[in-house]
Amino acid sequence: MRYLKPTSIHEAADALESSRGTILAGGTDLCVYMAEGVCQPETLIDISGIDSMRGIETIQSGREEATVRIGAGTTVAEVAASEALPDCLRQGAQAVGSPQIRNLGTIGGNVCNASPCGDTLTPLLALDARFVLRSTAGTRTVESEEFFTGPKQTVLDPHEILEFIELPSASCARASAFRMIGNRKGQAISQVNAAVSVAIVDGVMSDVRVAVGSVAPVPLRLAGLEELLSGKTVEDLHPANLRDAVLEGVRPIDDVRSTATYRQEVTVALVFDALAACGGQRSGQDEGAGAW
Amino acid sequence: MVSSVSVIGKRIRKVDGREMVTGEAKFSGDYIFPGMVYGTVKRAGVPAGRIKSIDVTPANAVPGVVDVLVAADIPGPNLIGILPPLDQPVLASDEIRYAGESVALVVAESAEAARRGAQAVAVEIEAYEPILTVDAALAPDARKIHETGNVTFSKKLRKGEVESAFERADILVEGDYETSFQEHAYLEPETVCAVPGRRFTLYASCQSPFHIRGHVAANLGVPASSVKVIQANTGGSFGGKDDVATEIGALACIAAQRLNRPVMIAHERKESIVGSNLRHAARIHIKTGALKDGRIIAREVRVLLDGGAYASESPFVTMKTLIHAAGPYNIENVSVESTSIYTNKTYCGAFRGFGVPQVTFASESQIDELAEKLGLDPLEIRRINGLRAGDPNATGQIYEQSVGLLETIEEIAKRPEPAGRKDDDRHVHGTGYAAVAQGISNGAEGIDVTGASVQMSQDGSVLVGIGLTELGQGSRTVYALIAAEVLGVDVDSVSVRSVDTDAVHDSGPTVASRSTTVGGMAVHKAASEVKKSLVSMAALMMKTEGENIELRDGFAVLRTDESARIPIASVATAAYWTGFPLMNLAFSKAPEANFDDETHQGDVYIAYNYGTHRMDVRVDTLTGEVTVLNHLAAHDVGRVINPLGLEGQVEGASLMGFGLAHMERIQYVDGIIQNANFADYAVPSIKDRLPTATITVEDPNPTGPFGAKGAGEPPVAATAAVFANAVADAVGVRFTRLPITREDILDALKRGNHD
Amino acid sequence: MVIRFTCNGRAVQVEAEPEARVIDVLRDGLRLTGTKEGCGRGECGACTVLLDGKPVNACLLLAGKIVDRDVVTIEGIAGEDGSLHPIQEAFLDTGAVQCGFCTPGMILSAKALLDEIDTPGVAEVEEALAGNLCRCTGYGKVVDAVLAASRRMAPGADRGGE
Repeated sequence: MRYLKPTSIHEAADALESSRGTILAGGTDLCVYMAEGVCQPETLIDISGIDSMRGIETIQSGREEATVRIGAGTTVAEVAASEALPDCLRQGAQAVGSPQIRNLGTIGGNVCNASPCGDTLTPLLALDARFVLRSTAGTRTVESEEFFTGPKQTVLDPHEILEFIELPSASCARASAFRMIGNRKGQAISQVNAAVSVAIVDGVMSDVRVAVGSVAPVPLRLAGLEELLSGKTVEDLHPANLRDAVLEGVRPIDDVRSTATYRQEVTVALVFDALAACGGQRSGQDEGAGAW
Repeated sequence: MVSSVSVIGKRIRKVDGREMVTGEAKFSGDYIFPGMVYGTVKRAGVPAGRIKSIDVTPANAVPGVVDVLVAADIPGPNLIGILPPLDQPVLASDEIRYAGESVALVVAESAEAARRGAQAVAVEIEAYEPILTVDAALAPDARKIHETGNVTFSKKLRKGEVESAFERADILVEGDYETSFQEHAYLEPETVCAVPGRRFTLYASCQSPFHIRGHVAANLGVPASSVKVIQANTGGSFGGKDDVATEIGALACIAAQRLNRPVMIAHERKESIVGSNLRHAARIHIKTGALKDGRIIAREVRVLLDGGAYASESPFVTMKTLIHAAGPYNIENVSVESTSIYTNKTYCGAFRGFGVPQVTFASESQIDELAEKLGLDPLEIRRINGLRAGDPNATGQIYEQSVGLLETIEEIAKRPEPAGRKDDDRHVHGTGYAAVAQGISNGAEGIDVTGASVQMSQDGSVLVGIGLTELGQGSRTVYALIAAEVLGVDVDSVSVRSVDTDAVHDSGPTVASRSTTVGGMAVHKAASEVKKSLVSMAALMMKTEGENIELRDGFAVLRTDESARIPIASVATAAYWTGFPLMNLAFSKAPEANFDDETHQGDVYIAYNYGTHRMDVRVDTLTGEVTVLNHLAAHDVGRVINPLGLEGQVEGASLMGFGLAHMERIQYVDGIIQNANFADYAVPSIKDRLPTATITVEDPNPTGPFGAKGAGEPPVAATAAVFANAVADAVGVRFTRLPITREDILDALKRGNHD
Repeated sequence: MVIRFTCNGRAVQVEAEPEARVIDVLRDGLRLTGTKEGCGRGECGACTVLLDGKPVNACLLLAGKIVDRDVVTIEGIAGEDGSLHPIQEAFLDTGAVQCGFCTPGMILSAKALLDEIDTPGVAEVEEALAGNLCRCTGYGKVVDAVLAASRRMAPGADRGGE
């Protein structure tokens, strides 16, 4: 096995182009695949030495709106701890694996692994995130909603590297929250997760984004529900009112982790809890579960 | 009982804990020997069939592979198991009975090469339609998994006349209950390391080294004395490291002999789940009859255990369910039939609680159903029927002492309800109770002899040796405490040997909550003999009679004049030079079980641990999530030896019972386990922990050291049962199947709302 | 290749492939066998080591990633004179150790927490140790141990024991 450790994104793109190797970021998924023999790469391209791919900054370029830019190599723990980021993304990052996994794993890795239950995926959808993909030919930008094409499948070409994740500043200004449920309370894989991002003015919701994970082959936006919620007040929210619109959008399956029926039911609850948490955010409430 | 004690009952640090917090403790996988090679087992991968051919050529071609063993390479009978006739091969030669079955061992220069080699072994199997349920196994035309048929073991218990009693009953309740397979999930996967030589040395992560020695020697075709098993530090066992350690222990030794190199076999987590025993899944039918005043007069139980592919401990687990199905109650008429069945799934065997959790869940659920029908408080019905000293239990055995069930009930009853349990439109609350009795030590399951040695050096320090193993439960600390108490020395001056079959006496298996009770008695006896020498010597030195001498605080003290004291070291030195023996090997033999094999009436166990639990829960009706607000675990332990160790046992066993009741479930599809990892098999994490409060009742047990009796198993059963009852109370629907998952709870809430 | 890194305060170099797992580098290469392998998939935490002070799974960490970085294993936290770290003492005093297999990882996760927060609450302890499974203790005494250690390590605390 060859092990390459480029120190710049250009070097990495060149290496990928010439070797058709496998990108190694945090390794928390790849090492499991390698241990199980599912993946036996001939060349590993370790991108953890590329400093420009780490960190979170706000970019103001020209007259365009400001963008929060997250390096794909930023660890999940760093994302969870960053006060510059919206709540739903931080909460989603905090829900990933364990402290050990979050210290190794990167947000770019979580995205590119494209597991339907990935806990940063739904927040990124709810925040209208864009992914900047790098190859030797330059960069292209893909909307988060268009990035995921199936379980563990994305639009990423074999010679492309996810370099940055961009969040429009408008989405960062909205209230947001993430909720998940797993097969245990600690170190759990999501049976379902939900992220909500919403503007609330005088209790009235607008610009609603609801994304749910592990209820379809890819993380989903619930357009019907978003439409339904727009213009409604937070105070009038009730799980029963969300139910039809949620169930219309999701397509869960039975698998080793849960049942389709449970996933449907609990999606309603999680979306409600996340919306409720958004409503309560101005009162400084962080974990809304107890109050609701 | 001893009136005053100095170290018994104190909160003592684990005597072997220091090396564990520094990382120095050596577990089997930590041994490194020059020239060591690594073995990986090739598994069948299909649940049932017949081996047509095994081609090892591709494995031999894998770089690093040095040897491949198949069944024909085993010098001995290629058999392991617990109770003769043994039915399990070390390596399958013909029939495949479960998917995790071992068919070949590949040995290589690295673990990685061995794994690749195992993948390369080509096994051609003619697949059979697997038998995956007890119903399929019992069908009249079912294929026989073993020549003897598909019934592993079946026994009956008969006390009184249930039929006529049911006719007299005012109220009958009847129901069916189910429990799922549970994985031990000790953090250290099974590992052994065999070193060849004139004799074989096997370092093993194991529970019962003498059991392993016997099987390893037999399969090597050598006398037992040619094998030396050293129990390495063992990272948990809970019943799970007996059978599998014989399998990989034998394989490692045979490979070591062929290659004349040390061989290590370390299971990966997946292998640990698919290739070693599980807790039996159970189907239990119970019918209970009671009078209007709440007295239970009859109970009939049928237990069907899915034991998987091999017998393992199935016969004894079957016995245990038979004897415990009536619960800790005084019921005049009892009829139980327990049967274990072969299926094409991973074999089931010993697992902390040993059948008692399954029947206790079913029994305690039905006791609550009965209480509800009678309009009785759940604690009251248990009070009315609970066993008291002098009452005959299900086997008709009567204990005149150490029956503390009622005291545990009262301990629970006097604790106030927790504050703040107000239902809202989303959350409901509930409280559950459960009572348990669990027989201590082997009892009906075998002869109960333990050998222990105690020796004092001239400096007054003490070395204890016993064939029962430390698995994390703190038994070494218990033995050190008992020896220190008897000999009047500080606990720090007592060392307990690691178990090496060359150096300690066969003490039977480390099972059935017997370490403290039966092992502790042997240590007590041996220490008492050494004490006699010290007392005699001190009496000579003080020119008095032995009865005037007391050993305490490191001195031989004259009872009549406490200022007259000689350091124990001086007494020991003098005793040594005088020729008084400072070492003793003592045997403790528990009173033998004596019962009728047809009815199981008679004396079965030397004691029972009794307990009552209460649990308060809050249930989220939108997600089915359960929050345990309060968990009280009261147990009659006879006498507390080390509170720190005891609490650890109760808390750990409780969380294991909680896992069984709520979170853990081995999921099979077509005979293949789907969740053989810790992501999908949900062992409770620290965030799932219970707020367990341990409450002890001390009703001294005459058959245990200082009155103690075992406590490591009963909380599993009580917690599993109390969780079911608490959740049922919260949602208003009874559950008949464990685990009760959040999915089940939501489902029940939906059904409940439609009723 | 030669992997150079700092291990338990000392500069070390080990011959290993960059794609080798750090758990193997530590156990086989440096004979630091206190780091345990419980699952090999980052699901149990028994192999936890500190990488630049943060807990990580050594079974998911490749040797190429630790070059020039700081690794602390369980062997590196007691004093040079053999005196135990307050967390180690607290684990013994509160009965947080049973079989001992998860203990090294638990202690290192606890150390990372207490190096960052002087007086954590119960929820913070649970969050910090959520990646360390234990099948023996039921975790109550583990939480007690970390809280007790935090009191001992607090500035001005009597380290003599409690």
